[in-house]
Amino acid sequence: MSNKRIGTKNLGNVYLEGKRYRSRREWRGVVDTLYDYSRWLYNWINMFRIVLVKPRNIKAMFRYRWMANYLAVPMMVDRHTQGLRGEHLRICHAEQDVIIEDVAKLLDKLFRGDRRIGNDEEFSKKVVLVDENEMQSVMMGFPTVVPLSREIASTYIPVLLNQRAAIHYIDVAQEYGLAGDVCPMPEAEAGVSIDDDAPILGCCAVQCNTTCDGSLLSNGVISKRMEFEDGIPVFQLASPLRHTNEDVQEYAAQEIRNAIAFVEEHTGEKWDWDYYFECAKRVNYATKCRLEWLEMSKSPYPQVFGSNLALYTETNYMAISGRLPIFEKTDRKIMKLAEKAYKKKKMAANEYRHRAIVWGVQSHYYMDLLVWMLNCWGIVPLTDMLSMDNTTMIAEEDTPENREQAMYDIAMLTEKMIMRNRTHGGYKVLLDDLWEIVTEFNADMVILWEHMSCKALDGMHGMFEQRARELGINLVWVSHDLFDPRVVSRQGVRDQINTYMRTVMGEEPVDPTLEVLPDEESW
Amino acid sequence: MAKFYPVLKKLSLAGFSFFAVTFAVYYFNLDMKLTAAMEPVLEYFYDKVDRDQHL
Amino acid sequence: MKDLKHLLYFENLLQEAQNELILQAQSEGKVCVAYVCENTPEPLLNLPGAFSTRLRAPRTGSMEMATYYMTSFLCEYSRALLERAIEGGYNFADCLITPDGCTMMNRAVENMELLKALGKDKEKFFFEYMEIPMKADDNGLNLYVLQCKNHILTPLHEKYGIDISDAAIRQAVAEHNRICELIRAIGEFRKGDKPRITGYEFQVITLATYVAPKYLLIDKLEETLEELKTREPEDKPYRVRVVVAGSEVDDTDFIKLVEDCGAYVCADRFCYGSFPGRNPIELTDDEDALTQVCRQYMYRGQCPRYMNTAKMTGRREYVNELAKEYGADGIIYEQIKFCDPWAYERMMGSHILHDDYGYPVLSIDRPYNIGSTNGQLRTRVQAFVESVEIKKINGGVK
Repeated sequence: MSNKRIGTKNLGNVYLEGKRYRSRREWRGVVDTLYDYSRWLYNWINMFRIVLVKPRNIKAMFRYRWMANYLAVPMMVDRHTQGLRGEHLRICHAEQDVIIEDVAKLLDKLFRGDRRIGNDEEFSKKVVLVDENEMQSVMMGFPTVVPLSREIASTYIPVLLNQRAAIHYIDVAQEYGLAGDVCPMPEAEAGVSIDDDAPILGCCAVQCNTTCDGSLLSNGVISKRMEFEDGIPVFQLASPLRHTNEDVQEYAAQEIRNAIAFVEEHTGEKWDWDYYFECAKRVNYATKCRLEWLEMSKSPYPQVFGSNLALYTETNYMAISGRLPIFEKTDRKIMKLAEKAYKKKKMAANEYRHRAIVWGVQSHYYMDLLVWMLNCWGIVPLTDMLSMDNTTMIAEEDTPENREQAMYDIAMLTEKMIMRNRTHGGYKVLLDDLWEIVTEFNADMVILWEHMSCKALDGMHGMFEQRARELGINLVWVSHDLFDPRVVSRQGVRDQINTYMRTVMGEEPVDPTLEVLPDEESW
Repeated sequence: MAKFYPVLKKLSLAGFSFFAVTFAVYYFNLDMKLTAAMEPVLEYFYDKVDRDQHL
Repeated sequence: MKDLKHLLYFENLLQEAQNELILQAQSEGKVCVAYVCENTPEPLLNLPGAFSTRLRAPRTGSMEMATYYMTSFLCEYSRALLERAIEGGYNFADCLITPDGCTMMNRAVENMELLKALGKDKEKFFFEYMEIPMKADDNGLNLYVLQCKNHILTPLHEKYGIDISDAAIRQAVAEHNRICELIRAIGEFRKGDKPRITGYEFQVITLATYVAPKYLLIDKLEETLEELKTREPEDKPYRVRVVVAGSEVDDTDFIKLVEDCGAYVCADRFCYGSFPGRNPIELTDDEDALTQVCRQYMYRGQCPRYMNTAKMTGRREYVNELAKEYGADGIIYEQIKFCDPWAYERMMGSHILHDDYGYPVLSIDRPYNIGSTNGQLRTRVQAFVESVEIKKINGGVK
């Protein structure tokens, strides 16, 4: 049975064949178990307080298929905290709990404005719909405008909660003739729109080409319904792909100016420079924190790393973009805990065998694989591609020059959205940078998520392999299909690591009960 | 002071009961077991929703 | 119908990427500018002293090496190009210019660069990657112009001394327009009940203008046009007329297969087709030629990566207009397998053209080289032809 030791021990025994849930929660010793219990209680109270006490949200629970997944929120926290103790457990909770609260508020707002549910027209007039993978930095100067992403609520978060959440929508899109080989994320988003399962609200929408060709085109499916049926005007924000080139920046900045003018026109609100620079300070603080955490990860005692860092960065960097002070507070809290643990040379698991850089696009239905890797094989995921975003500070003092610079800063942040920062912009940012990061972090292993329908990544497959061979780095391919566990199951994902570790590395697992888990039916 | 003891006792008892029940729910994962049972019920409603399915 | 005099000649030009006219032009001292995407403005690659060739991989068989480098999930066009490049099939090119249009094409070219698959023994060889606009507006135009300057004109001038003046661009546009006018005039013979040219023949001729130096084709095109004026059409040459719309098609066997099933391809709205690729470019004297070229490429472009609403709806309207102008009974929406942009556009287009415009639509995905799935596609096209025919017999209800 699990005990106070750091890292899991026999945790595989709590998995139940054919069940959504585990038999019980992890025993982490008295103090940490009580702490985890208190956070579990806090999250349930928050979900009740923000979402479940309002009749309109209950109505939405019975209207939107994706809402059922939110019942599995505590299970997601359990998956990401497995094996964690002390400061690491607290860091993880700080990250997860603030995200949970933020998403609960997102749901509440969506249903408040939704014409089918709350139909609060006054509120809806201040809502601007944004993409799921869109940097919300373009909203940093609009304190009274409410940017909401329907896709985050309907597809992005649900798949983190329930591995099967997107399957229905993927099938709907394919029934309409969409090829099965496109990325299932935008495919599922298109499916939600086709299936008439998206809340209808907002005075306008800003879509963006941020992630990939599929995402760009899926926006076309969504905007058709929004513009021509729901009467929601859409602005398509084009962010250049070759973002490392100087000669695209003016275009990018002008796109931002045009997007701001569009939002001003449709909301009647004016861009507020005071608010913008206040947000810019918070963006810079978040960047500073992330850089310090990455510095710690270069040492033998990394403190903020793995799937929690990736998830937190995605939320804080992309969806928040300095707009909410609570995330700055969370940054400070995490920093304090991390510094404390770093001084004490704390480890997140009993044994660190390999230092790994995690590259590529993570499996969304199995984002907690990184925690599993740590517990099962002692592989420390030092950093991941999603967390290697912008590292430069943006202008934060309100001066005439900085007002002009701000357009370039917002454009730069948009161009360097998580993932696209690496998957676009030429091969250097994806391929060449990886090996520099490996050296910088003193890593001996690369875990390369191969999201099989991500054409930007697949297109460099051979070169990754060739370079790893030349440099003598252990490269472990982990194939998956992002949103669709029918293509590669969670065990299928684990098996790729298990096989490599046993056959190539000739090692035995740290916790053998985790090697094969009956979680096919699990959330 | 003595007259507060029964109140304190009741409060402590209520607090402990709350803790005991919720901790049992937490540790034995009863919340997830309950929500797993709710899933098919919700699915039933989702399948009955009248949808305007089209591009 | 009697065979066209130069059909075999045009067909032979398509047998290899490095055709005889490329060799001839290079022996005359001209620079061969290779490109891979319709969003690269062709006249800028055909300035005096240079000529363009759009890369193809004819008669592609195995793509094992390219599949190793890019996996089996990338579109076969991009893989076929990489395979051919690795085999040394494009070593004749003096440079390769590509827009970061679709991710797969971009990756194919990046792999070529990393593997040093092109430019063997060519000191001045260069790769250039362009950003191209995703929306048709003034901001997009400014970007397009700047990118063409930085990634086409400047490197061509600096490396090969090509004249990139306004006058040179205008000269290249004039030559480009001559080709377009000839193709347009030849294409006009597809209208009417008894067309004088088959869709296959037209595609062969059009395709040749993309892959061979244009100035060396003019006489043959002129002769073909003259020949068509007096060519005797067949009495009942087809069962239904279709527009083929969709992603890149440079495999003439595909159009041949469609026509063998009784569907006459009366209009070609695909990359490597004549719409809009062979629309002449109209220049005025009150603005520089480069800006005008870019503007026309941007506004006429039918690539699904253009994401603004006007462009999206315009793409379907364009197919409708072509269908009306060329009297089509139905539309075949095709995409090359694993193409992300066209996967979505095909889904949207095939539903919208059917539901909103009332056309019978066949929606298919296809491999780069049609040979391997010949039977399956034939069955689908035959079934489509029959269904359209039945609808016509039953009173023309679409």
